[in-house]
Amino acid sequence: MDAFPTIASASKAIAAKKLSPVELTKASLARIKAHDSALHSFLLVTEERAMADAKAAEARVMAGSAKGPLDGIPIAHKDIYNTADIRTTAHSKLLEHNVPTADSMVVKKWDAAGTVMLGKLATHEFAMGGPSFDLPWPPARNPWNPDHFTAGSSSGTGAAVAAGFILGGTGSDTGGSIRGPAALCGIAGIKPTYGLCSRAGVLPLSFTMDHTGPMAWTVEDCAMLLQAMAGYDPEDPASADRPVPNFTADLAKGAKGLRIGVIRHFFEDDHPVSEATRKGIDAAMDVYRGLGAEVSDVTLSPMSEYHAVGSVILTSEAYAVHQPWLKTRFNDYGELFRDRIALGAFMSSADYVQAMRRRRMLCIEVRDAMADYDILVSASQPGEAPRIDSVPKWGNLEKPSLTMPFNVTGNPAMSVCTGYGEGGLPVCMQLIARPFAEPMLFRAGHAYETATGWRGKRPALVA
Amino acid sequence: MPPVTREEFDILAAQTGLPLSQAQKDTLFDVYPTLQKILTTAAAPMPREAEPSLIFYPEVR
Repeated sequence: MDAFPTIASASKAIAAKKLSPVELTKASLARIKAHDSALHSFLLVTEERAMADAKAAEARVMAGSAKGPLDGIPIAHKDIYNTADIRTTAHSKLLEHNVPTADSMVVKKWDAAGTVMLGKLATHEFAMGGPSFDLPWPPARNPWNPDHFTAGSSSGTGAAVAAGFILGGTGSDTGGSIRGPAALCGIAGIKPTYGLCSRAGVLPLSFTMDHTGPMAWTVEDCAMLLQAMAGYDPEDPASADRPVPNFTADLAKGAKGLRIGVIRHFFEDDHPVSEATRKGIDAAMDVYRGLGAEVSDVTLSPMSEYHAVGSVILTSEAYAVHQPWLKTRFNDYGELFRDRIALGAFMSSADYVQAMRRRRMLCIEVRDAMADYDILVSASQPGEAPRIDSVPKWGNLEKPSLTMPFNVTGNPAMSVCTGYGEGGLPVCMQLIARPFAEPMLFRAGHAYETATGWRGKRPALVA
Repeated sequence: MPPVTREEFDILAAQTGLPLSQAQKDTLFDVYPTLQKILTTAAAPMPREAEPSLIFYPEVR
């Protein structure tokens, strides 16, 4: 067995009784103990729960009654996912002692699939506004270089997966909070189509922009995790009542015949990215051509329009969620979240409605553009991870976000590592598909990953 | 949107009902022009009949 198995390889080994879920969990816990004091990816390690889960999984496997491919797989949850009787804090002083009485739907589903829960993961406060140094816990740090940022808000998940502490974890994505940390930590992360995965029991940030989704080392692992995550939930009013496809069924189909549209102006003009990021995307397009795909450029409205619409909606909705606490416990929030969300108080009802009207026009634009393409391509992040102490407070407004456009439109979008920059830190691309076309997204991502060797390199951790 | 003066901004800040300190108001005032630009971009002219992406479902789930 590899030192750091993927979910796919661990699953096969567990099913063949060549890998013990108990031993795999013990190895994960030992690795967390040895290295997480430098990375701060976990807010809480639930060792007892993990060992109980692992022993139960092992007993099922040995009895020939395994629950499926995720039985015995070590995972953890972003700390905005409610976990029954286990502290859920949103990394905030405001919920420092919050202990939910029920699991969120996704936590229930992964539990039912037999996963082994190792604990709760760091996040930017209430899934927005990091890195913050004035919260009850420190921010997560990048395993490729702990002086550098993970991006966020699913910062702990990105760091813990890259570090090999867990094989997969939950994230949430309102403006890029899965795809950003997946990009900077060099892993894979998918924001599924809006409505595909339940948000019930997940602390809200922005009702019409929030998405739940998985993060893991590979695209294939994300597909396996999403299988146990997706599906209609009547407790989530945005949940889509439609059949869940087999997300791994098309993985082996390759890229031959795919029509790929590169939204080049997003990352060359609207928010110019680093040379390594641009070269990574160009090289990836050469890989796709070599695999038999057709690649051409596609033009959308300037990314600043998508960004403006997303920022107004996100800030307005988040302000509405937090308004009562902002008026009574303003200074209990960290500075970054508090000041960014306070801007919502300066927006009018007309501002929100105009943004929602514009949003529909942008959804139509992307739908029409995708009539000729199976996959769109952009960047997920402007470059390698910056130093954690150099992230500007208003970076969320100063330049248009590369990920926000697909929170605005709800299309599924995924970060895939395309190599490493001058500083030795990961760079990546973003793949986008039509709504509910996740199998196509996984097919394209997996074809690229298996044609390149980037998944063979892990960060070297220092104890 | 026309730029707001500090005096005008202080009135807007008071209207929010948030307990903002002077330093917090300074920070928000500095970023307010960026916010105005974003609001203008999001509300650029569009057809009168353009519907919002929010739809009301009378059959509440």
